[in-house]
Amino acid sequence: MRAELRAWAETLRARAEAHGLSFPPVLFQEVEPEEMAMLAAYGGFPRRYPHWRFGSEYLRQREVYRYGLGRIYELVVNTVPVQAYLLKGNTPLAQKLVMAHVYAHADFFQNNLAFRPTPKDMLDEMAHHAAYVERAMERHGARSVEEFLDMALSLETLIDPHAPYIQRPEEPEETPGPARLRVRPYLEPFVNPSPEPPKEAEEGASPKPLPPRPTRDLLGFLARHAPLAPWQKGILEIVREESLYFAPQGATKILNEGWATYWHTRLLLPLLTPEEAVEFAELQAGLLAARGFNPYRLGYLLLKEVEERWDKGRFGPEYEALPLGERLRYEKPFGEGRKKLFQVRTVYTDLPFLEEFLTPEFALRHRLLLPEDLPRFEEAKRALLFRLTNLGYPVVELLDANYGNRGELLLEHLYEGMELDLKKTQAVLENLHRLWGRPVHLKTVVGGKETWLKAG
Amino acid sequence: MRPIERDLERFKEIVRGEVKKRAREFLTREELFGEVEGRIVSIPLPQLELPKIVYRDPLGEGLLGGGPGEEALGAGGHIPVAELELEEFLDLMGEALRLPRLKPKGEGEVTEEAFRYTTIARKGPRGLRHVRRTLKEALKRTLMSGSYAPESPRLSLEPEDFRYRAPKKRPRPHAQAVVLFALDVSGSMREEELKLVKTLSFWITLWIRRHFPRLERRYLLHDAEAWEVSEEEFFRAREGGGTRLSSALLLAEEILKGYPEAFYNRYLYHFSDGENWHGDTPKALEVLRRLLPSLALYGFAQVQGPYGQGHFLEEVQDGLGDREEVALAEVRGREDLPRALRALLGGKGEGRA
Repeated sequence: MRAELRAWAETLRARAEAHGLSFPPVLFQEVEPEEMAMLAAYGGFPRRYPHWRFGSEYLRQREVYRYGLGRIYELVVNTVPVQAYLLKGNTPLAQKLVMAHVYAHADFFQNNLAFRPTPKDMLDEMAHHAAYVERAMERHGARSVEEFLDMALSLETLIDPHAPYIQRPEEPEETPGPARLRVRPYLEPFVNPSPEPPKEAEEGASPKPLPPRPTRDLLGFLARHAPLAPWQKGILEIVREESLYFAPQGATKILNEGWATYWHTRLLLPLLTPEEAVEFAELQAGLLAARGFNPYRLGYLLLKEVEERWDKGRFGPEYEALPLGERLRYEKPFGEGRKKLFQVRTVYTDLPFLEEFLTPEFALRHRLLLPEDLPRFEEAKRALLFRLTNLGYPVVELLDANYGNRGELLLEHLYEGMELDLKKTQAVLENLHRLWGRPVHLKTVVGGKETWLKAG
Repeated sequence: MRPIERDLERFKEIVRGEVKKRAREFLTREELFGEVEGRIVSIPLPQLELPKIVYRDPLGEGLLGGGPGEEALGAGGHIPVAELELEEFLDLMGEALRLPRLKPKGEGEVTEEAFRYTTIARKGPRGLRHVRRTLKEALKRTLMSGSYAPESPRLSLEPEDFRYRAPKKRPRPHAQAVVLFALDVSGSMREEELKLVKTLSFWITLWIRRHFPRLERRYLLHDAEAWEVSEEEFFRAREGGGTRLSSALLLAEEILKGYPEAFYNRYLYHFSDGENWHGDTPKALEVLRRLLPSLALYGFAQVQGPYGQGHFLEEVQDGLGDREEVALAEVRGREDLPRALRALLGGKGEGRA
């Protein structure tokens, strides 16, 4: 990287740390648009397993750049050290902005609790996965591995994003048999008779339900229990692991981008020359444009709001009790804004973040809402939170893997008032049926009535 | 090859396979019809999407500025679209439908003059200044005049030193073609038959243009008389009186005089239900016999309407069927389209049922 940029990286790093951000070393690298398109298609990694959907995404990214429909200024990868790619050809100011932005992302990755369980050596993991799939292709044929990957990837949303946190004590052993007396071997059958053979009705019946409790971790379950070749189970593990790795990024998009925007503004603004200030304002205006859903804008504004409220003491029972109009003017110097921000960065994901801080007064102040729409605020907010739940995907649980004692799968869609796309869902169930080898059922709701879908 | 290129190649391979598999379906896709002029064809390919369990209604924008719609790893519900260059798309269709390659007839090849900036001139606009050549000239002049000083090798440029890139004429071979569509509007051709004609002429146009980038199109209608119309007019349903197929052929002969066969590959397509006035067929065949030697192809498609059909196809078959410029096809419905298209483009031996 150019010496000038490196000097700026140093300056910004020192400032970030002085302000209380903490992060592992960050490696900056300038890349050409083509390479940026490749990295974007690969989710930020230089190597992924072979699959056509990366090619499709790469093509899309390249076209977007070619036709000037958008550009990726930067990519940050959650690894240790943090890998950051800057687009070659950004103006010097844009590069500075982006580097400050990157340090804040790095801080977020290191400190936000949602990222606690993600592996930090994902660069190596991804390369292992690539090698694994490539080897499988050599041994079992590229097309059959690809076909299996297509099936596995259609299930990639069927994970339990909380799985990495769940720790259950070992299941206790089955009730131990009666104590045995030590006797000479020939007396054994008389003194310690073997337990009664199982009755016909119990034969073949599983002693424990499978899975022992309903689970959302369908991919994990299949990797352990589906009647598949070892390489196929390996691929299911890979798809599951990568899905789990990317899940926290999806769940903290608003907060993470808001945090990075807050900090690049904070760190860079005092250092700007007058000419740079104009360019900065332009970049910032583009970034925070109020069109459609803009996670940068929402996250940034909401964090500023939190800071202001905790600086001015706008929280607690006394404040909450005030009517809306008075809340907007309430002020009681408190000065805990910065401290609160760091707490929010550490313990929240988007869903609780918006749940807690997206208030009618905020929506009014930033014109997310017209005053006459105020009565519908709660409803609109609930709709927004719903879209953020489970990354916008329906929640599906595996209830029973031995449904009707016939080894069939029974899944349930946890219906929350939104119906499934039956055609796509059916296609997924067909894939699942091919994997499991036995019929698959899914309970859901269509037109207000409980409905069962079936494949096989 | 970089891994991403390998993934890209694989993706393209799948798209190509998909196009070939669904060529028959694309043949009758009406939304493609608007794209004759485009360089890129967008093909909706829902099969190329990995299915996921998603909500029926996309989670669109709401009161509070919307939700993460597209952001959320794919939940959003748009149909994936593959884009192909028109040429590549046509080649794939051609392969799948086994369309014959069209070859320019010997004389049909014309050359046109094209300019390329390959030479150097002493005069020209500033923007075309050739810096290296200019400096070289200055250096030459300084050396020759003996004023060159190696210890301070500065060149001062004189007007005579300047050199400019200049265009040079280069002949570029270019095949041209004209295609003339004639449509019989005498009563029995209705909406559905007209649709088949439209589909056929759309694909005939595309395929001829694939081989002759400079293609002119003319359209004419006829019942007992023939008259020329615009492309739009051509496809409007209407009914007329009796039929004289010869009238169309005579007008075609007239129009084609503007396209000398030395410079043009001339294609004539005639769509009719095959019913002709009793005494007219010998006349039509006579005109045809005169026209054929100058044509690349005469394609006659007999479209079966609801009121039975005529016999012109048989008459041409009997009279001129052995001429290689004659391409005949019978179209009774949608499922005949691939075979008819192939036959009308000169694919031999498969025109008739």
